[in-house]
Amino acid sequence: MRHTFRQAFSSGKFVTGFVILMGLLLLVILYPLIFRAPPLQIIAQGTFFPPGIYVSAYDSINAPTTYTLNLDGAAAKRVAAKLKDEDRVAMKEWLVVAGVPEDQIDISDAQKLLTLWAENYDPAKQVKGMTLARQRYFQRVNNAIQGLLSTEGAIIAVRQPESGALQEAGAVKQTDYVNISEVPNVRILPLGTDNFGRDVFAQLVRAIGVSLLIGIVAGLIATGIGLVLGLLAGYVGGAVDDVINFITNIFLVIPSLVLLILISFSVGQESRGAFTVAVVIGVTSWVWTTRAVRAQVISLRNRDHVNLSKLSGHSLFRIIRGDILPYIMSYVFMALILQISAAILAEANLSILGLGPRTTDVPTLGLMMQWAMIYQAHILGKWWAYFPVLISITLITFSMNLMITGLDQVFNPQLRN
Amino acid sequence: MGKVMLEVNDLTTKYITRYNEDVYAVDHVSLQVEEGKTLGIAGESGCGKSTLALSLMGYYFPPLYYTGGEIIIDGRSISGMKPDDVRRTILGTEIAYIPQAAMNALNPTRRVINFIEDVILAHDPTENKKFIYELARASFETLGLPPEVLQKYPVELSGGMKQRTVIAVSVILRPKVLIADEPSSALDVTSQKMVIKMLKNLMETGFIKSMIFITHELPLLYNVTDDIMVMYAGQIVERASAREAVFDPLHPYSKGLMGSIIVPESGLRDVKLTAIPGAPPNLKNPPAGCRFAERCKYVRAECRYTNVALYDAGPGRAYRCILSEKVLRDCYEHERAIAA
Amino acid sequence: MKGYRRYFLNKAGWFVITLIAAFLLNFFLPRMMPGDPVAAIVARQAQGMSNSTGVQAIYEQYTKLFGTDKPLFQQFFIYMGNVLRGDFGYSFSQYPRTVAEVLSASLWWTVVLQFPAIIFGWVVGNSLGAIAAYRKGGLDKVAMPISILISNLPAFGMAVILLVVFAATLKWLPASGGYAFDMIPSLSVNFLGSALLHYILPFASIVLLAIGGQAIGMRSMAIYELNADYVRYSRFMGIKDNQISRYVFRNAMLPQITGLALAIGTMIGGALVAEIIFSYPGLGTVLLTAISGRDYPLISAVTLIITIMALIANFAIEILYGFIDPRIKAAQSD
Repeated sequence: MRHTFRQAFSSGKFVTGFVILMGLLLLVILYPLIFRAPPLQIIAQGTFFPPGIYVSAYDSINAPTTYTLNLDGAAAKRVAAKLKDEDRVAMKEWLVVAGVPEDQIDISDAQKLLTLWAENYDPAKQVKGMTLARQRYFQRVNNAIQGLLSTEGAIIAVRQPESGALQEAGAVKQTDYVNISEVPNVRILPLGTDNFGRDVFAQLVRAIGVSLLIGIVAGLIATGIGLVLGLLAGYVGGAVDDVINFITNIFLVIPSLVLLILISFSVGQESRGAFTVAVVIGVTSWVWTTRAVRAQVISLRNRDHVNLSKLSGHSLFRIIRGDILPYIMSYVFMALILQISAAILAEANLSILGLGPRTTDVPTLGLMMQWAMIYQAHILGKWWAYFPVLISITLITFSMNLMITGLDQVFNPQLRN
Repeated sequence: MGKVMLEVNDLTTKYITRYNEDVYAVDHVSLQVEEGKTLGIAGESGCGKSTLALSLMGYYFPPLYYTGGEIIIDGRSISGMKPDDVRRTILGTEIAYIPQAAMNALNPTRRVINFIEDVILAHDPTENKKFIYELARASFETLGLPPEVLQKYPVELSGGMKQRTVIAVSVILRPKVLIADEPSSALDVTSQKMVIKMLKNLMETGFIKSMIFITHELPLLYNVTDDIMVMYAGQIVERASAREAVFDPLHPYSKGLMGSIIVPESGLRDVKLTAIPGAPPNLKNPPAGCRFAERCKYVRAECRYTNVALYDAGPGRAYRCILSEKVLRDCYEHERAIAA
Repeated sequence: MKGYRRYFLNKAGWFVITLIAAFLLNFFLPRMMPGDPVAAIVARQAQGMSNSTGVQAIYEQYTKLFGTDKPLFQQFFIYMGNVLRGDFGYSFSQYPRTVAEVLSASLWWTVVLQFPAIIFGWVVGNSLGAIAAYRKGGLDKVAMPISILISNLPAFGMAVILLVVFAATLKWLPASGGYAFDMIPSLSVNFLGSALLHYILPFASIVLLAIGGQAIGMRSMAIYELNADYVRYSRFMGIKDNQISRYVFRNAMLPQITGLALAIGTMIGGALVAEIIFSYPGLGTVLLTAISGRDYPLISAVTLIITIMALIANFAIEILYGFIDPRIKAAQSD
């Protein structure tokens, strides 16, 4: 057994796949220990907040200490952030009319644009063919820019409880800074929020865990059934083999998705938890393993060491355990990994069809995908709601396939070249 | 002395493994085969005899590469020819090959006759199919194969029949040299007999002019061949007539090899069965000095660093050992006495 | 020819057996579950529907269609009879349309989308795989990791990525539906043009996935074949390399065909989910609306049709395979 492991780890592909998978597992285990917030809690009012660090505006105004920092270009950055795209396009339009060569104007560089504007804009200038309304518009743009460029701070006012009048409570200068670590309420949302206003990253970590669990449960069930049926068919042979082979051949061509849909729908939304879904996937995907194990066992059945055991009067159980299982174990292990990754995909497919686990208790990768699709995250450009999910699914299946390929190369030397 | 059909001088070829290591599986091999003669090549598995067979074809593809030496067939050197010229004018017509696993040598999805058509058209695209069929039928008949075989797929043929078909296909263009690499090793005894009989008849019926016969089954070797070469670790260690090689080997390795089998000849029955302990060296980095030193009973200190050449020992006879013929014979005599 | 007839009869026999099994499963599976959906549906009639004549009609229809008062095996024969007549009853969610009406349109969308896509992807994937095996150089090193990555993407993943890139971001192609919203299906040039535009992305997503998987399979099959004894022997008999690659390609393709026969069910399943992402008017989208509307008769009909599609495709491939692989005939005539 130890030798087998060492052999497996001698394959670069296996190790790569293993490392990716272990990385994901570590994330799943460690993240909830550090960030204890429940993953499905609705925290945001509104849908699809973009990824980033969220700082409480109220707390940062009231931060215990403010620091004065004189940074170059701070004003320009501020203006750049405020300057809307449409304003920039309008500015460019005016500048071109005023005679600035078009290739010198770069609307993505706010600072240059403003300099050009300051040099060239003349509110009194009459441009031929420009309507009065259009001229007014440019004057408004200019005023807005001037407002942005002002160096005065903002006044903080509080409302008097009795009179309702506003009273100055403090001022925030443009050079005032707060240290984010002194602001009591900061929330990092690495992947923003989803359509329900839930932290996508926390949800994703939990979903990877649940999906892996579904995969493992389903994979164990499928491999278990496949192994037992395959051993019976292959070793016992005769009528048992005929019956099992008959059933296997039937289920081989009936799409397993169909069985999944029928069973999942029949089970009903209310009783369909993550575990039930895993079991359903498990009992519908044993066919390939059965077939493969049967073929392997048939090739082993008449080997000398098996015959010797038979002649020695060993029991069926003992022969299978001692003379057959050890030879197909590496193969069964590969089949198990394959089943796990297939089950994770099956869950995703089912969930997209609306037959995934009921939505209230846990997220799964498939459910996250379904939610993102229903709320059109992909069409609205909210990539953080679906893309990390896709990446996670692909990473899981990719790492598992790498492991299988690696094992295959180790145990089937014929494929090595 | 007959006309030399195949002459090989200092042929060296190597494998490049997927880790980019060079393995010299054929190391400066020279040999000659005359018209009407069969040369046998003997040795343990992994000694390079199959690679030698591949190398003799003069047509190399990865992972086997040609590094030096010359192959001359019927007076015409094929080393240095363009690979496509070798393919068109040499393979099948001058020199032909019967593979080790002849059971799988035929494309499973092509009828025998279609494959023969492919072979002949590859050499002469103008040949018409009717002519090819007549030629194939005639050849098959001469070789004692039923012409129905031509219309069959390889899966429809039994193991022995498949092997005989491969032989018939190999010689269909009447090559001057035939290289047979363990042609009967995968067969049952009856089929084996038929295959050997067929091979022996090839020269009499004029299909081939000379043959190289490779096997690890020494009795067979003795029966089929005129001369024998013993290979060890990519090198020739002994060359002699069949009789001498089997009954009076000089090189300690040949001695061990011949001792490890029972030859059904009277007078040899008393030779004890002695397998040679140990395994051939790794050719990735072959040992300095004599390559057999590690396993040799009569090893001397200088064996491990002296580069041993092939010494002449009379006409058609050579061996690769630093010990003189006399010393070696004394050693063998001594051992025989102890055993008795 | 005798060998082939035997092969054909054997495969036809299996086709009929699996077909019957599919009917049995489609009928019994839902009824064996703890909450028998048919019974629940018939009992729950009044709740889901707002149309009171509809409720009445469906109630009567179902008691008759399913014969819920009769024993199970008798119900099965009623069901079989109905199905063979193409009568799947009324759709719950789209009353007063019948299930047959709902499906007759979408079935063709799916057939026209999926089968060309799977076949095209299969052909291209196999060609690429063979080329990759043959030229072990740059192409193999670049193409294979890409194929492996693609083949690990779930079917819907490929669909989503194509949609986001080509429809939502670049806006080159429409994002959803089978034709423009303002059109009525007809055979006009305008409609066909619109349908073609809408066809490209779903088609591409199925094709790309098929290419990824097939290329990998073909590559390892071809490498296996390239190392086969007959390749070396053919070379030594002076046969040209391109003739040998034809041998290799053909022999490596044969297991790929049986592979396709076995994988066709899974491929159809994956493609259905891809259809959903594009809201393509095929069976996948119908299935989704059926599930969200708890439209049991529609679900049951769709799953049955998908199964039959998979069985027919499988059967067709097996029959074709028998023609192509001479070993089949030889093995059967023994």
